[in-house]
Amino acid sequence: MTADILTVAWKEWLEFRDQLLRLKRGGLSALIVVLLLGIITPLQMGPLWNTSALMLAYWPLLSSGMVSTLIADAFAGERERHTLETLLATRLPDASILLGKILAAVLYGLLFTFANILVGVITLSIRHWNDGLQVPPLSHFGYMLLLVTLACSTMAGVGVFISLKAGTVRQAQQTLGIIMMTLFIGPVLVFQFLDSEGRESLATTLTSLGTARLVMWASGILLVVSVILIVMGLGRFRRGKLTLD
Amino acid sequence: MSTLAIQAEGLVRDFGPIRALDHLSLEVPSGIVFGFLGPNGAGKTTAIRAFLGLVEPTAGSARVLGFDTRRESHRIRERAGALLEHHGLYERLTAEQNLDFTGRVWHLPASERRARIRELLEQFGLWDRRLEPAGKWSRGMKQKLAVARAVFHRPPLVFLDEPTAGLDPVASAALREDLASLAAGQGVTIFLTTHNLVEAERLCDLVGVIRKGKLAALGPPSSLRTTDDSSVRIVGTGIDQDTADVATTVPGVLEARLLDGALDVKLAEGARPAALVAMLVERGVGIDEVRRDRQTLEETFLELVTDDAATAAPARDRAS
Repeated sequence: MTADILTVAWKEWLEFRDQLLRLKRGGLSALIVVLLLGIITPLQMGPLWNTSALMLAYWPLLSSGMVSTLIADAFAGERERHTLETLLATRLPDASILLGKILAAVLYGLLFTFANILVGVITLSIRHWNDGLQVPPLSHFGYMLLLVTLACSTMAGVGVFISLKAGTVRQAQQTLGIIMMTLFIGPVLVFQFLDSEGRESLATTLTSLGTARLVMWASGILLVVSVILIVMGLGRFRRGKLTLD
Repeated sequence: MSTLAIQAEGLVRDFGPIRALDHLSLEVPSGIVFGFLGPNGAGKTTAIRAFLGLVEPTAGSARVLGFDTRRESHRIRERAGALLEHHGLYERLTAEQNLDFTGRVWHLPASERRARIRELLEQFGLWDRRLEPAGKWSRGMKQKLAVARAVFHRPPLVFLDEPTAGLDPVASAALREDLASLAAGQGVTIFLTTHNLVEAERLCDLVGVIRKGKLAALGPPSSLRTTDDSSVRIVGTGIDQDTADVATTVPGVLEARLLDGALDVKLAEGARPAALVAMLVERGVGIDEVRRDRQTLEETFLELVTDDAATAAPARDRAS
């Protein structure tokens, strides 16, 4: 089972890598994102970029956004390129195909985050040359890693579920785009609807919880949601139905 | 393993109001090349999908390599190779990566994968271009790679849906040879669908003709072609209308007509052409060939798959 999951992830990764290496197809946009997030944002925020609690929400949101652009291709893309049926005709178990695709997407999200943090660390260290190497505190980095992994898993779970249902990659990408918009704008809208007393109360509650507890709560919620989504995806994965779709 | 590679009994598959397979019963022995012939939409691809457990039958049952397609389809897929309707190659990956992926799927060790990749790519003349993405290749090259992928893990049963589609005649002939040696040398059962009747005739030990989801005929290609002992065609020089007229006076000759400079003769039951040939030689006809009229597989196929017998008749005329 593990070998099969890794095999699927290996194949997915080769396809992602090809996509990244071809500037015309998306590598250029990835490069722009890395330059923007890894250079401009750290320069604007300064050393706070490494320590701000805001970054604990920032990276999971961005990395899951990147995952959403890739995961749409998981099944809808294979169907469009007529490779799905051949994949389904192999000995690979259903769960391995699904989990392999999720694993590849999560690894992609993590790589995206690492690449950006690395570029950011280099940028900040050059900018603040006299203050030594500008790296995030280990605990902060650990929280980020945990949240990015879980956020990417959740997005990959949503993505495969949508990709299984979608007729085309474009359709899957549109649906995922709407979900991402909701995730980005939703909290802002909720905050806007609160009166000043409500906002203050929310801020006090969040502050009193502390970073560690907040991260644990968020991780718990993301874990439960991603597990539910993956189980739902497995339930929906029917070779016969996918072949005929 | 069962001596029957495939055994289907009353297999039915409906897609809404359309019946793709209509009580299909079929037995394919192990170690042969089986040709599945039929017009577009006859149910060939649905049959392959059902045998691989990719679609569940509406009714009936099938066993492939001794395993039930409903309950043990994963065991079938473990032991089968397939080239389906589309080649299904990952076009962003190189030829080598495509085959390596197949090897990994079947848990072949790295050294074996490397050796097998080289063996197959050299066999199909693709080795020099192994590092190119498959998407850059011609259709014929992709088709060859897809066949290589289907046999990569040395499965005992291979499903090939139109394997020579898009290949040039030389490549088709080479592939046919490879498939024949695969079946003969390694005891692999090959289940192939094709529209190329010459290919079916040359390659297949057993042929099934499917029409509207039903098996219309089953047998070795030679037995499907009907030999008409009463018809003889005489080819030579000096054959004219007079010769045809005189030929009808020979005992045992029911009918003789001139067609494309040759003589088509219909003999009475049990009659032999010897007397007619002697008479023609006496009249100074230079005989090059005397042959019994034998129906081609194409003619048999057309008769089996067309609704109107009249449609088949001109085809036979054209062939003769």
